[in-house]
Amino acid sequence: VTGFYDDGLFGKLFTEAQREEHGPGHSVELYERAGASLELLEDEEGVCVSEVKERGFALRLFRGGRVGFAAAGPEGLALLLPRARSLLPRARVRRGARAATPLAGEPPAEPVTGAPNVPDEAAAREILVDFRRAVTRAGGGAVAVREASVVMGERRERIATSGGREASWTSRAASLIAHLAGRAKEGRFSARVVANAARAEELPIARLARLGVDRVLLPLTGHAAPTGRVDVLLDSHVAAHLIGRLAPFFFGDAEDALLASRTRGGKDGLTSPVLSLVDDIAAPGGPIRIPRDGEGTPKRRTVVVERGMVTGRLTDVASAVRRETTSSGNAIRRLWSEPPAVGVTNFFVDPSPGVSPLDLLASVTKGVYAAVLLERPDIDLAADRFRLVTAGYTIEKGRAAHRVSETVLSGRLSELLRGIASIGDDLKFVAGAGGGVGSPTLYIPRWKLG
Amino acid sequence: VTDAELEADPAEAVRLVAGMVRRGEGGEAFRERRRVLSWSATEAGLLSPSFVEERGTAARIRRGRETLLVARSGTSLDSLREAVREASRRAGTSPFFKALRRPGPPPKHEPSQAEESEEARTAALASALAHAVPDPRGLSLSLVLSHVSVARAVVTPRALHSLGSSSRLEAAGTIVGGGHERPFAFQSPLPFPAAAAALSHALHEATRPVPRFPATEGEADIVFSSSAASVFWHEAVGHPLEAEGPERASVLARVRGAAVAPPGLEVVDDPRRSDLAGGFALDDEGVIARPVTLLHDGHVGDVLTDRRTAAEASNGHGRTSDYRRPPRVRMSNLVVSKGHAKLHDLFAECGTGIFVREISAGSADPESGRFVLVVEHAELLRRGRQAGALTRFALVGDLLVALSNLFPERGDEALPAVGLGLCVKGGDGVAVGGAAPAMLIRGLHVRGARL
Repeated sequence: VTGFYDDGLFGKLFTEAQREEHGPGHSVELYERAGASLELLEDEEGVCVSEVKERGFALRLFRGGRVGFAAAGPEGLALLLPRARSLLPRARVRRGARAATPLAGEPPAEPVTGAPNVPDEAAAREILVDFRRAVTRAGGGAVAVREASVVMGERRERIATSGGREASWTSRAASLIAHLAGRAKEGRFSARVVANAARAEELPIARLARLGVDRVLLPLTGHAAPTGRVDVLLDSHVAAHLIGRLAPFFFGDAEDALLASRTRGGKDGLTSPVLSLVDDIAAPGGPIRIPRDGEGTPKRRTVVVERGMVTGRLTDVASAVRRETTSSGNAIRRLWSEPPAVGVTNFFVDPSPGVSPLDLLASVTKGVYAAVLLERPDIDLAADRFRLVTAGYTIEKGRAAHRVSETVLSGRLSELLRGIASIGDDLKFVAGAGGGVGSPTLYIPRWKLG
Repeated sequence: VTDAELEADPAEAVRLVAGMVRRGEGGEAFRERRRVLSWSATEAGLLSPSFVEERGTAARIRRGRETLLVARSGTSLDSLREAVREASRRAGTSPFFKALRRPGPPPKHEPSQAEESEEARTAALASALAHAVPDPRGLSLSLVLSHVSVARAVVTPRALHSLGSSSRLEAAGTIVGGGHERPFAFQSPLPFPAAAAALSHALHEATRPVPRFPATEGEADIVFSSSAASVFWHEAVGHPLEAEGPERASVLARVRGAAVAPPGLEVVDDPRRSDLAGGFALDDEGVIARPVTLLHDGHVGDVLTDRRTAAEASNGHGRTSDYRRPPRVRMSNLVVSKGHAKLHDLFAECGTGIFVREISAGSADPESGRFVLVVEHAELLRRGRQAGALTRFALVGDLLVALSNLFPERGDEALPAVGLGLCVKGGDGVAVGGAAPAMLIRGLHVRGARL
């Protein structure tokens, strides 16, 4: 077993676990993650730099459908095997639970060597300077950055299973988080905004600044929202959060019954035919670019809704076995200390049938453009209801007319999804559902407000 | 119970930290051991168990307006030495220690007694779940139940202080029943059997099928239960008085000393209340935690501080979610003075309105004072009597207006909050508690009653 540290801890534990856990239905999976990150935080109290280097191991023992999971750092390595073994008898049998095997045609992974590097502090400082400039430009002096932080990190992961999978890979990530405060004669308002990217240089600094400025100034300077039936344009940032909340529909087989009830057993579409929902590690602009999932399966493009019809699921090894298919590479390990669970990588609305957002705007005679979310979206998949509290602009004859301080969009989720008449081609991602979620602008004609 | 390794070789640990911190600087090292036994659970019972042990060390240096934190895996002297060496290098100084004096103690194996107690806890948890959901038909639970035990120590240039060990039972996830999905969160610092019983009760209440109808949208007079009131005080008063940013950054900090609530009202953040989830004797910077009066006789009082915001004058509220994160000013247990009214007196005073039993989430904008509370469990009040359960809705208000509309008389019991558990601010979660009496606030806005 090769890897990025040459202290032999990984290989020794894996060999020992394999030796002790053998027999029909027994399998072993050992995972290691080493990470290095740097956070630069600036607020009105000063500057705080945090540098973190950590390393963790996670062992899963599988025995006849039972799973025992134990995780620890290098100092607790001796605990892992006895702990995982002691948990096994207390676990309930779940069909399909087993260690991963290599997929047919899976290319052998190039071994990753060397410990991860701590990112450059100067690059982080530059990002914050650029962000402050962008806020000043976009806010015209009415918006102050109360707090801003950049986190940049690199991590190396490796996995070995008794089924024969052995892989190591490396990835990077960056995020920019800011707390902005807006001030106008009408009062004050503040908000926290976040952007994620696979590389620090890909952080959408100017876009986040504009979003943040809208987020704190629109509620202060806008007018009351119109009521009655109007056309609605959901900005890609607003729509992305909504789309992200649909992701659990497609996690393995957990929501099969709910999906079947929403689509009359697959006869009806879940959404309008203009919508296709995809999970794809190679999505342009997607903030997640990790080549393998938490079980070492190479990630790939999975279409879960094609032109409105449900066509697939996001799976890990166990749920793929239950569905009699192969894993889609969606076993996500948020932390090394958590067992992998089905989740998203970059989950988004395919923008390929979309038109320019300006064309969408031009097609609206009377409507509302929901530019920012003011609160976390409230979405109840079981009850088929949603509520989005947004701010934005009124649209008159294809042009933005007045600012709107607050518009509440609510109603039946299925009605909204099936009512989407057209989409833009401006796919943008936000952090959500444990990964990246994205959408272009969505156009919903004749939605009832108020 | 403390962790021996966190306190091993204190003289050497102190020597390392003393070598790192120079004249005119502040700083300390922080060691943490977190042990979590978790279970995924559904309506069918406990499913997959997992065990995690995380150990970490952070070296911190404060110089003027700059703070540096270097964190490493492990709690041995070697980990401390590595963190101190890197922090010193980044700070542009040289630490006073030699490369390696002697190896740390070998990692200890878990005593079998711990595993036995885990066996008993597992059985207790399974039993609690079975009692909570005697009939799982029509229900779908997706929960993670965790027994979390955390031990922490701070090494200052003068001494090693154990921050002790705390353990709590946590549960989080979603419940689908009656055609609705609702979040569920629970946390209790009580001894395990009592915590498991409390979890069972909370889960039973959350899964009990009750016919519900939507509340009327618009202004309403609201009676808050003890638990719901704790969440209100936490969001509306606690967060705005965490001393971050300039004084004018928060609607309450802008009016220090002003009367904003009825006379006689005292709101104190009290970390010494060890019976509540947010209790501690020393904060995560090694400062003695002191109670701070946030509202005194209805007037805005002091703010919560840490080393970064108040240096030596910190009142001991520097808290961190884990060793990787820098400490920030955070609340502990918000305790509100009780009144003399019985709950039915408040109902009678309210007349027609809403009795809020449980708030599942909340947020407040300290700048504007606007707050939003998501009400999960509430009942309609008609002529002072409970008249049926309501579906989920949001309460929206302005903090200063809400405080001025607070009915002067409050409940006669300040009960510990059940729904208040983990407070997440800026992505960092810390355990918090609260104890407040029931109260009546007039004229809050009920929104989104259709959901």
